[in-house]
Amino acid sequence: MKTCKRLAALAGVLLFGCAVARAEPVKVGIIGPFSGPFSSFGEGWKAAIDAYQKLHGKTAGGQDIELIFRDLTGPNPSEAKALAQELIIKNKVQYIGGVVFTPNAFAIAPVVEEAKIPTVIFNAATSSVLEKSKYFVRTSYTLPQITVPIARFMLDEGVRSVVTMVSDYAPGADAEASFVKTFEAGGGKVIEKVRVPLKTTDFGPFLQRVKGSAPQALFIFFPGGPPSYGVIKAYKDNDLRSTGIRLFGTSEADEKDLPAIGDAALGLESGMFYSGAHDSASNSEFVAALKAVAPAAVANATALEGFDGMAAIYHMIEATKGQRDPDAAMAAIRGFAWESPRGPVRIDPESRHIVQNVYIRKVEKDADGKLFHKEFKTYEQQPDFGRADPK
Amino acid sequence: MADIVADPSRVEPGRWRALIGPELAVVAVGLLAAIVFPDDLGFITRINILSIFTLSIALVVGQAGIGTLGQAALFGAGSYAAALWALHVSAEPFSGLLVGALAGAGVAAASGLLILRTRGLTLIMLSIAFAQVLLEIANKAAFVTGGDDGLADIPVNPILGAVAFDFHGRVGFCYTLAALVVVYFCLRRLIASPFGLTCRGIKGDRLRMRAIGAPVVRHLLCVYAIGGAVAGIAGALSAQTTQVVGLGNLGFELSAEGLVMLSIGGVGHLAGALLGVPTFMIVRHVTATINPYHWLLVIGVLLVVTVLFLPGGLYGMVDKWRRRAGQGGS
Repeated sequence: MKTCKRLAALAGVLLFGCAVARAEPVKVGIIGPFSGPFSSFGEGWKAAIDAYQKLHGKTAGGQDIELIFRDLTGPNPSEAKALAQELIIKNKVQYIGGVVFTPNAFAIAPVVEEAKIPTVIFNAATSSVLEKSKYFVRTSYTLPQITVPIARFMLDEGVRSVVTMVSDYAPGADAEASFVKTFEAGGGKVIEKVRVPLKTTDFGPFLQRVKGSAPQALFIFFPGGPPSYGVIKAYKDNDLRSTGIRLFGTSEADEKDLPAIGDAALGLESGMFYSGAHDSASNSEFVAALKAVAPAAVANATALEGFDGMAAIYHMIEATKGQRDPDAAMAAIRGFAWESPRGPVRIDPESRHIVQNVYIRKVEKDADGKLFHKEFKTYEQQPDFGRADPK
Repeated sequence: MADIVADPSRVEPGRWRALIGPELAVVAVGLLAAIVFPDDLGFITRINILSIFTLSIALVVGQAGIGTLGQAALFGAGSYAAALWALHVSAEPFSGLLVGALAGAGVAAASGLLILRTRGLTLIMLSIAFAQVLLEIANKAAFVTGGDDGLADIPVNPILGAVAFDFHGRVGFCYTLAALVVVYFCLRRLIASPFGLTCRGIKGDRLRMRAIGAPVVRHLLCVYAIGGAVAGIAGALSAQTTQVVGLGNLGFELSAEGLVMLSIGGVGHLAGALLGVPTFMIVRHVTATINPYHWLLVIGVLLVVTVLFLPGGLYGMVDKWRRRAGQGGS
C-alpha cells in the first residue's frame, strides 16, 4: 500500500514536471564546490549569480534561463568529467560555468570540445587551461597577470633586492616564476626564493630567515585561509616593517579574511584585479545587489568571478537568441568588452582570457573602523603574461 | 565464496553457477543499469572503477586484516604510471592496465616491507604517512607529474585497435565493467584457495598462524601486493577514462571514502564492495543533485545507520535473508 502511494506521488511529480516544461529554457550548468572545505567558492558564486539575475533578470535573448548547480567538492578530475557528461547528455545544457581547480578544467576540456559547449571558467587560473579547448573562456585571472604588474610596481618604487616566498604547489611556482622573471629583467635582484609547504601556519622561522637576509622587500603568494593569516601576522610579530623590509602580496588578505586577520593587515600592499571597495557606479550596484540577495555574502574576487562569468554567459545567450549555436556564441564572446564592477574588461579574441586592470592597493581603515583595500595605482588592461606571446 | 565452500549444500545447483554465478550477476546488473540509464554512463563508469578500488580494500582489510588507510597511494601510483606510460611510451590501453597493476603492486610491496611489520594503530598511521609522502613527492616532482595541475591530455588508443572511446562513455563503461568482472573473478578464486584461507587465519590469530609454521609477514606482503595490483588497475582505468590524473588520486579522502563504502557494503566479504560502492555513490549522486549544498549530511546519517543497525553491512543483511529463505525451503 505504501509502495502504491509512493508510486502515485512519483507519477504526480513527473506529470507536474511535464506540464510545467512548456517552452524549453536555455540550460546552464554550474560546476563548483558548494559543500566541503572549498565551499566558500560555491557560496560566493551562488550569491553573485543571484545578484546578477536580480540586476539583469532571468531571461536573455528572449529566453528563460535555467541554472543547474552541480557540486564538485575538490580537485577530482574523474568526477568532474562525469558531471560534465551528465550535464551535457542528460540535462542538455547549452553552457557550462564554474570550475575552481585546474585538473578539473583539464578533465572537462575534451568533453566540452567534443560536444561544443561554450564553457566559462570562473576560476581555474593556470595559463594552459584555455589551450585545452577552443570552447573555454575565462573570467578570473592568471597569476602572471597579477604578479608581473606587482614586480613592475616594486621596481617603480625603487625596490632592488627582494626575497620571494610562495606556497609550494603549482600556482605558487607560477607566481614565483613570472615575478622573478619580470623583476630580474627590470634590474632587480632576487636574494632568495623560499617555498613553504602548503599547510604551514607557523611562519616565524621563515620570516626570521628573511630578516637575516635583509632584502628591501618580501614578495608573497599564498592561497586564502590559514596560511595567509599566518604569514601576515608573523610579518607583524617579527617586526619586519621597522627593519625596513616592505611586504608585497597578491590575493592573501581577501575581503572575506580581512576581519579575521585584523589590524595586522594594516599597511599591507598588494596587487589584485578587484577590491570590494573599488570606486565605481557598477561596483556599488554589484555590492548592493549582493547584499540584497545574500546579506552574509562578501564582495570579493570570488564573488566577482561568478558575476562576470554570468555576464559572459548572458552575452552569449543574447548573441545567439538562446538558440544552440556554439560557434556563433564563441564568436560573440571573443573580443566582448564590458564594464565590470572591477573596471573595464574584455575577452582577448585569441586566448579567450579576460584582459583587465590590475590595481595596487593598501589595507586601510574606513570611517567605521572596517578594513578595506584602498586602490592607489592602476596598471591598465593587463593580459595573461603566462602565455608565450601575451597580447 | 568462502562460506559457500564451507557449506557444500549451496554448490548443489551446479558447479558452473558457483564458479561464475556472482560474476554473471555483476554483468547483468551492470548491463541493466546501462540500459535503464543510458545517459548516466559516465557516472556508472566511475562506480565500476571505484568498485575495483574498493575490492582491493576488501581483500586487504576484510580478508587479511591489514587495517590500512593508505590504499589511495596504490591507486594513485597505478594512475600516474598508466598516464606516464600512455604519454611517453604507448597509448595502448591494455598495456596501460598492466603497467598500472605493476606500479600498484610494486609500491605496495615496497611500502609493505615497512608497514606490515606493525599492527593496529601503528599500521594505520604508517599507511597514512606513506600515502602522504607519496602525495608530497608527486606534488614536488612537477616536471614529471605536473604537480598540483596534474597530467592532462592522456592519449588512449582504441581497444584492440578497433573500438575507440566515445563521448557518451559506452566503450568506457563496457571496458571498466569487463575489468571489474575479471578482477572480481580472480579475487574470488584467490580467497577460496588455501592462500586465502591462510589470510583469514592470519586475520583471526596471527600468533597461532606463526605457531603452526605459516610465514606471516611474507604472506601479508603477498596479499598486500596483490591488493596493490588491483588498486593500480583501478587507478589506470581512471587515468584512461578521465584522461587526466591529479593529486586527488593519491589523496587521503579517496582511501577514507573507499573504507566507508566498504563498511556500508560489509567488510568481511568481497561482495560487500560491490554492494557498498553503488549504494554510496547513488545516494550521494541523488542527494547532491537534489541539494548540492547539504547532501553530506545524508551520507553521514547513512553511515551512522549502517554502523548502528547493520553491523555486517548490506551484505550481512542480504546474507541473513538468504539463509532464512534457505532454511524455510528445506
